[in-house]
Amino acid sequence: MSLVTSTSTDGKTFIMQIKGKFDFNLVQDFRLAYANVTNDTETVVVDLRETEYMDSSALGMLLNMQKLLSDKVDNFKISNCRPQIKKILQISRFDKKFDID
Amino acid sequence: MSLQILVVDDQQINRTILSRSLEKENYKVITAANGLEALEAFTHNDPDIVLLDALMPVMDGFTAAPKLKKLSADVYLPIIFLTALDDQESLKRCLEVGGDDFLSKPFDQVILAAKIKAHARIRELSKKTFEQKKQLDYYRLQTEREFQIVEHIFNRALQGNYHAPDLIDFYLSPAAMFNGDIMLTNLGPTGNLYIMMGDFTGHGLASAIGTLPVSRAFYALTKKGLSVGEVAAEINSILLTLLPSDMFCAAAVIEMSHSGKSVTFWNGGTPDIFIVNDNSGIREIVSAQHMPLGVLDDDEFESHTTNVNVSKEDRVFIYSDGVTELVNPSGEMFGEARLIQRLNDLNNNDIESIVEALQNFKGEQEQHDDISMLALRCDSTPISKTIIEDNYSKLPHHYELHLDAEAIKTASPIEELVDTIASIKGVQRHKSTLFLLISEAYNNAVEHGILGMSSNVKDQNDGFIEYYALRQSKLEELTEGQIKIDIKYSPNDFMFIINITDSGSGFDTSKLNPNDATDDQSFGRGNELIRELSKSVSYNEKGNQVTICYQLFDRT
Repeated sequence: MSLVTSTSTDGKTFIMQIKGKFDFNLVQDFRLAYANVTNDTETVVVDLRETEYMDSSALGMLLNMQKLLSDKVDNFKISNCRPQIKKILQISRFDKKFDID
Repeated sequence: MSLQILVVDDQQINRTILSRSLEKENYKVITAANGLEALEAFTHNDPDIVLLDALMPVMDGFTAAPKLKKLSADVYLPIIFLTALDDQESLKRCLEVGGDDFLSKPFDQVILAAKIKAHARIRELSKKTFEQKKQLDYYRLQTEREFQIVEHIFNRALQGNYHAPDLIDFYLSPAAMFNGDIMLTNLGPTGNLYIMMGDFTGHGLASAIGTLPVSRAFYALTKKGLSVGEVAAEINSILLTLLPSDMFCAAAVIEMSHSGKSVTFWNGGTPDIFIVNDNSGIREIVSAQHMPLGVLDDDEFESHTTNVNVSKEDRVFIYSDGVTELVNPSGEMFGEARLIQRLNDLNNNDIESIVEALQNFKGEQEQHDDISMLALRCDSTPISKTIIEDNYSKLPHHYELHLDAEAIKTASPIEELVDTIASIKGVQRHKSTLFLLISEAYNNAVEHGILGMSSNVKDQNDGFIEYYALRQSKLEELTEGQIKIDIKYSPNDFMFIINITDSGSGFDTSKLNPNDATDDQSFGRGNELIRELSKSVSYNEKGNQVTICYQLFDRT
């Protein structure tokens, strides 16, 4: 599967890693993946180090997640993007909602 | 072999008596009747010890002694005066002219034998020392020669470095003859500038040796235009095979884009890298995210990178820990705080000023580790455009795909299509962007053109899931419809022209709002992305055909 989740040992960071293609084909999996995020979670990290392709449906999915979890979670991070992916996020002004590194 | 003793005396009888008694002790004896004969005998026989009479005709012992000593400059030649003189002044003179001992005539055989043995021991030691010195001299010469060869090799190995004094300013100061720090620069095929700074464990020749395979690999990999993560992974693999397990290389591999607007970092175990702005000082810190090179196995190795957007007012400052660990005469380290303070001093933060500050700090103290610093000005690289153009395909390409209802239902063609296009020379680096452009246009054609869906559904709670569930069920029911994908690559202007036509009824293109999505809205970003990332985008009048132009490289 191209979506892998993990939680840090202290339980405060929830990490989602997406491999290869990030588009609407993941819409169900992605929604289910963060369903279990609890109030203990302080940071949600979407790790895109292995994401090669992404389109606007992925942006929608990310924003939906952020909207839905913003009551429970303080920080939303998108980490390890490749330059072209980072540009897509910047054009869409994602730095306003996510901490992008 | 028995010792050879030269007996010098003008009295035949004395020579005979002495010779007999020495020969009884198993010494080999040569005789001479005066100083001159003694010198002659010395050059032919190379005796170990000289028993020298003081007063003789032709040349006396006082004259002969310094001459004999001179003939045996390298090894200690014991000269024992045997003399009838017994006044203090004469005995003193025996030692002053170079004699090592004396015995007054008539002398005691036992004492003479003991003295000969004692001096023979010293001569033996002196001989050994001389042999060792000869060997040391030989090794020193050999080492010097070898160092010259190695130095030549090192110089040649680093000759591939790309020099751009306008962009790159650096300072290298090895603690020993050979540098265990390495600073490599190269220009990639698209005008992107690569820099690698590495610091091998220790310093001197042992740590410098690793720089040879690293520099080779660096030049070869960057010439191909590989990403910094890939370069790091490859060099890690080489070092893992070559280095002993207690040796590794803390390194940063950096790539600045041709435009000088973006810098990518792979940083394994080096000190923090600073982005220093001309007007505001340090504005960003890129800390090491990885283990040094040569530690992790290939399957454990992490190649992800950090990307920072930069401008002409920025410089990237990299250094080896020899800078902060430089010690002053009172044993205090220069430290990161001083360096940061320096870098934030906007008028004195160039490499030259920092070197001066380090020199002042160090004072008379010896430098214990290799010191390296590099500042990279973030500006476009001065590569000639024809070189860049050589990296793109000169062939026109044309792809045409006709998808009928069945294909639209079952296939998801974009990824495969983009993988195919990416094999065209020079396109690899544009893969993600091309995917986005084609994917947006294709999905618009499917969802709005063929399936007649409206994005408004997405705006409700879980609307996203609903929307794509609806898409799925509508697709399953689909019986007719066509989408034509037509992609042309024109090598004249490095342009992709992407044309997607659907058999739908089209849409009112005048309703496309340039700012269609608010920051909160989770849909409607596709068209904005297409506009921002492409050279141009247009629709036919009916609204069922979109044409997107994307340029790999703008010659102007």
